[in-house]
Parts: sequence; C-alpha cells; structure tokens
Amino acid sequence: MIVLQILINGLLLGAFYALIGIGFSLVWGVTNIINLAHGAIALLGAYLTFFMFQQWHVDPFLTIPVSFTVMFIVGYMLQRYLMNLVVKAQIFILLILTFGLEIFLVNFMTTFFSADFRSVTPDYAGHSLILGDIVIPYIRMAVFFICVAAAALMALFLDKTWQGKAIRATSLDIEAAMMTGISPAKIYALTFAIGSGVAGVAGTLLTLTQAFSPNIAGGLTLRAFIVSILGGLGRVEGALLGGLVLGVLETFSSYIVGESYKNAIAFGLMVLVLIVKPSGLMGRKYYAEVKH
Amino acid sequence: MKAGKGILFAVFVLTLIALPSLVSGYWLRVLTQTFLFASIATGSNIIIGYTGYPAFGNIAFFGVGAYVTGVLSTKYGMSFISTLPFCALSGIVLAILLGIPILRLKGHYFAIATVGVMETFRELIDNMTELTGGGMGLTLPIMKLGPESIYKYFYYAMLLCMLFALLLSYIVSKIKLGYALRAIKVDEDAASVMGINTPLYKTIAWALSASVVGLSGGIYAYWISYIDPNTVFVGAYSVKMFAMILLGGAGTVFGPLIGAFVLELISEVVWSKFIAIHGMVLGLLIILIILFIPKGLFETFKGGFSFKKLLSNLKENSL
Repeated sequence: MIVLQILINGLLLGAFYALIGIGFSLVWGVTNIINLAHGAIALLGAYLTFFMFQQWHVDPFLTIPVSFTVMFIVGYMLQRYLMNLVVKAQIFILLILTFGLEIFLVNFMTTFFSADFRSVTPDYAGHSLILGDIVIPYIRMAVFFICVAAAALMALFLDKTWQGKAIRATSLDIEAAMMTGISPAKIYALTFAIGSGVAGVAGTLLTLTQAFSPNIAGGLTLRAFIVSILGGLGRVEGALLGGLVLGVLETFSSYIVGESYKNAIAFGLMVLVLIVKPSGLMGRKYYAEVKH
Repeated sequence: MKAGKGILFAVFVLTLIALPSLVSGYWLRVLTQTFLFASIATGSNIIIGYTGYPAFGNIAFFGVGAYVTGVLSTKYGMSFISTLPFCALSGIVLAILLGIPILRLKGHYFAIATVGVMETFRELIDNMTELTGGGMGLTLPIMKLGPESIYKYFYYAMLLCMLFALLLSYIVSKIKLGYALRAIKVDEDAASVMGINTPLYKTIAWALSASVVGLSGGIYAYWISYIDPNTVFVGAYSVKMFAMILLGGAGTVFGPLIGAFVLELISEVVWSKFIAIHGMVLGLLIILIILFIPKGLFETFKGGFSFKKLLSNLKENSL
C-alpha cells in the first residue's frame, strides 16, 4: 500500500513540477533563452497570492487569474525591452543576463518581503480524501487538476489559435515565419509573457502546498530545467510527462535512499537523458535543436 | 606580448608584490579575494573563452579542490603546501572522467550538465558526513603564525596562483593546443574535418581549466579555514566569474584578470556603501554589462570611450 501512496504523492508533486516546467520549456524551445529567473518569477506570483490572502483574505485559488495577468505583463515587458536586446547573442551571454535578473529579483524580494518562510493556509487546508490506507489532501488534488487543466489549455492554445501557431512557426523557422508577416520580436515577447504567466500560476499553487521564501527560487528553476530536459523542449506533453517522471522519481528515491540524495539522483537522470537522448523523452527535431 | 604591454604587466606584478607592506589588512583581504576570482576566471577562460564551451558549473572543481585540501589536512595531517598538488590533480582527473560523456554535449546542454555536476558534488559531499563533516562543515587547522603574517602568506599564495593561471593561459594561447581550441570554438565540425582530434583537445582544455580552479579552491579553503558545502559550491560564483570573463574579454589572456579586478573592486565599493541592496545592485550591474559591454571593455573602447559604441553594442544582438 505504501508504494501506491508514494506513487500518488509523486504524481501530485509531479503535476506541479510540470506546470513550472511548461513555461520554461516553451520559452527555451521558442526563443532559445534558458530563463534562470523563471523560479524568481514564479515566486513573484506566490507573493501576490500571499499578500492578497494576508491583507484582504482573498481565497488563494481565486488569485490565479491575478497572478497570471500580472506576471504575463511583467514577462512581456521583460522580453520586449530587455531580453530582445540581446537575444541573438551567444548562449552564455543570455544565461548570464537571466541570472543577473534572478539575482536582482531574489534580492528585491528579500529586501522588501523579507527572507522569512511564508505559507498560505485557508480554513479548508488539512482536509483529506481518505480511501482505505491512502490519504490525499483535497488541496493537493485541486492543485493537481489545475496543473493538468492549465497544461491542456496551453496545448490547445498552441495548437488552435493564430498566436499559438505563430509561436510554433517562429520556433520552427524564424525566417520563414517573418516572410509570412509574423513579427518575431512580438512573438518572443508573447512567448515569454505566457511562460511567465504560467510560472505565476505555479507560484500561486506553490503557496498552497509548501512554505516558501525568496531563497527557493533557484531550486524551482532547477526543477523546471530538469523537467524540460526530461520531456523535450517546447512541447506541453513533454513537460507534463517530464514533470510526472521527476515527481515520482523524487518521492520514490526519498523513500528508498533518503531525502538527502534526491537532487543528486534527479541530476544524474538528467545528465543521463542529455547524453543518451538530448532531445528529451518526447522531444522531436526542430523543437529541441540547439539553435546556435 | 608586445614590449609595452610586458613592461606594464611587470610594473603591475611588482606593485602587487610590494603592496602588503603599504596597505591595511582590509585591503589585503579584498585583494586576496580579487586574486582568487582572477585565478578562477583566468582558468575557466581556457574552456569558456578559448574553446567556447560555457562551463557554467566550473565552480564544482573549486568546491572539490577546497574539500581535497580540507580532508587531507584534517584527516591525514598533511601540510597546506603538500595538499595543493592533489587539488589540481582532483580537477584534472574529474574533468577527464566527466569530459568523456559531457563534452559531447553542446551549448545550453553542456552548460546545464555542468550545473548538474556541481549540484551533484555538493550533495555527495554533504552526505559523506564521516569524511567531510557534511552540513556541519570542516574546520581546517590554523597556521601557527601571527594574524598579520597569515594575511600576507595567503596574499602571496593567491597571487602566485593567479600568476600560475595567467602563465598557463598564456602558454595555451601560444601553442598548437590554443589554435586547435579556437578552431573548435569557431566551427567544431570544420576543425574535426581538418584533422583536429576535437574530443581530446576539448578534454585537455577542460582538465587544464579544472586544475587551476581546483588549486584556487584548495588555497581558499586554507585561507578561510572553515568550509561547508554551501560556501564552496556557490552558483553565484559561477555567474561572477562569467561576468568577469565577459567584462574583460572572453578568449584573451589578460581579459578575465582585468574583469576580475574591475568587478571585484566595484563590488567592494558597492558593498560598503549599500549593504542592504547590494544583491540588487550586483544583479543590475551584471545586466548592464551584458547589455552594453558583452565583448569586454577593451574590445569596446579600443578607440577611446564613446556612448555611440555602447549603443551599437546594444543594437548588434537585438531582434
């Protein structure tokens, strides 16, 4: 029975990782930017939820649209007026730029929101669905379904709408996309905005499942990273699969060899995937190619 | 090296040698720290700048080097100096073993794999409590000298390390290896077709770079006399090192050194003025360097300082 419980915990955790990874993977796949500030952006969303809950007692789930919208706008501005300025530079220049942004944001949050661990606990926290020996907290279940729904919406958006198709076209062949009248600057900004918006939502959901402080930003980014590598870049299904694999792996390895080795195991798996199949478990050509 | 440059460099080194008897302990410490970063940046430049492989997690070797000195001196009673060859050796061995799988990756993927390596080492050392003290850290023996002499001792040790890094970097740039590495940076496939054994050269480059970084880790550990996994495997050091390489000019012999001096001294001034927002200022500083001087100070201002240059740099890579 314990195995089933661990599996369920892993899947619940994995869906959250998937949501963190989706935005990261999309931005990476389309604009070729590894956004090291992704975790910090998610945390901004978390703080939005936290302060709305603390000041006005807004239900955390109701703050999802707010986090999405605010982080969408922040993301659009960042890409349009900062990242687009250097987007054609060498890879490590972009890495350093986003890391500079990460340092800035984390220190901004530490200065103004303090480095204390925060958490959001609405009245209904602590209630669980109990099936025999299996315990599933309702909040975690809700978070799971929101993550899956968000992933599905994202896949639909990329598949069905004009903007979504434009994003994919830009990712596949930027010059051909330009010839059809797509402005890469705007599409890049839109992509980054969506990535940040989804990160904001993930931040909101984070407040419900664990305590957070500005210092966990790096850990979130690393998870997003591993998810993207495991699943393959720029594909929603890939990130979903990658997230679930990572979640299950983490919970099982914590159970078997102990909590303290889970990062080493996750990284080991990632390096292994990188070497054996660099395009990820579900990655295809074009989406996951190194563009430099 | 042209004669003018050579004389300038000689004056620079002589000044640094003479300084300890002129400046306060505070500045001695700041300069020792600067030499440390100059060593790391100069060493890493061999794989990053010459070869074009963004080893984002190169600090892994720094951490391992620090622990090699730490463990050998506390558990096996070896003296400081005698542990140093093992620090450099640890970097070389690890880089060769890791390089065989990881150097096949390119670009982002390589960068990330090195970060993974760094995090894995951090965790492993954190868990090897019996040998390394784990999260409790490791306290190294303190030298039986007065505080002033210890300061000076490590000042000169770090200075030597920096000069060693520079010498290595200079030699590499002049020999066949250096030309091969630059060929790999420009076009690896073409280099391979021309008969360059690219895997071999890349591995040598990474091993040399790791030896310098490992050595500086060892000296750092003894200097600071207390290490724990979180103080030697620091992602922020990697970023600082990258910013220094960029600021001075990647792929040049003296660039990383100059970048280290400029950034570390600026950072020191900022630190003392705005303690509360130091991190934010550092983040902004890095963003500004990337935006306006990604090619390095010298390349940008060859013909004197001008705002036009800064702006044209900005336009070059924008969409």
